[in-house]
Amino acid sequence: MKRLFRGLLLVGALAGAVVMVKSYLQRTDSPGEEAVRIVFDDGATRSLASNTVEGQEFTDIAHKVLEIGV
Amino acid sequence: MSEGRISGTESNAGGAPSGALERALGDLRALSEDIESCSVLSPAGDLQYSSHGPGVERARVAAMLGALVGLARRSARKEGKDLASQVRVRTEAGHLLMVGLEGGGTLVATTAPEARVGLVLYDMRNARVEIKKATGEVG
Repeated sequence: MKRLFRGLLLVGALAGAVVMVKSYLQRTDSPGEEAVRIVFDDGATRSLASNTVEGQEFTDIAHKVLEIGV
Repeated sequence: MSEGRISGTESNAGGAPSGALERALGDLRALSEDIESCSVLSPAGDLQYSSHGPGVERARVAAMLGALVGLARRSARKEGKDLASQVRVRTEAGHLLMVGLEGGGTLVATTAPEARVGLVLYDMRNARVEIKKATGEVG
């Protein structure tokens, strides 16, 4: 009985560790995700990530436009 | 040859497309099959052509595209640049692409998420000459 309890405790701890690592990796992946790329008239470029306010403004409107088409 | 630029101030619906403009955009869509829909905004933000059917949505589309052009201009100012010549927005629903036209208009296209965006933008840039000629006829 004691061994079974230990086993269950180990499995629970492992499952918790897996969930924690997964959520950490998901959180660290998203900030670098590029959503908008702007090329200026002098050839310079600017990239905006989806989690920035400016990037979100572009994607919100673009999403609505894509829904109805142009 | 001067570079096309994305400009424009406000948007409203109006202006029937010329046959030449329809042909130019028809050619572009035939060449670039990834394009799902496309439109042309005048320098003043008027919707000169839209693959979308006429009706209430046309004014809505013009307003939303005008807002995107405004955001691109604001971003250019922020970076100390004159104007933006190309914008690519990626969403879960697909891509929205904008290319500035000579004289200040904007060519806009939408594609599916898996589209070859680089090729579409290349075709859009190449189509600018024909679109300029056609919009010259409209104006």
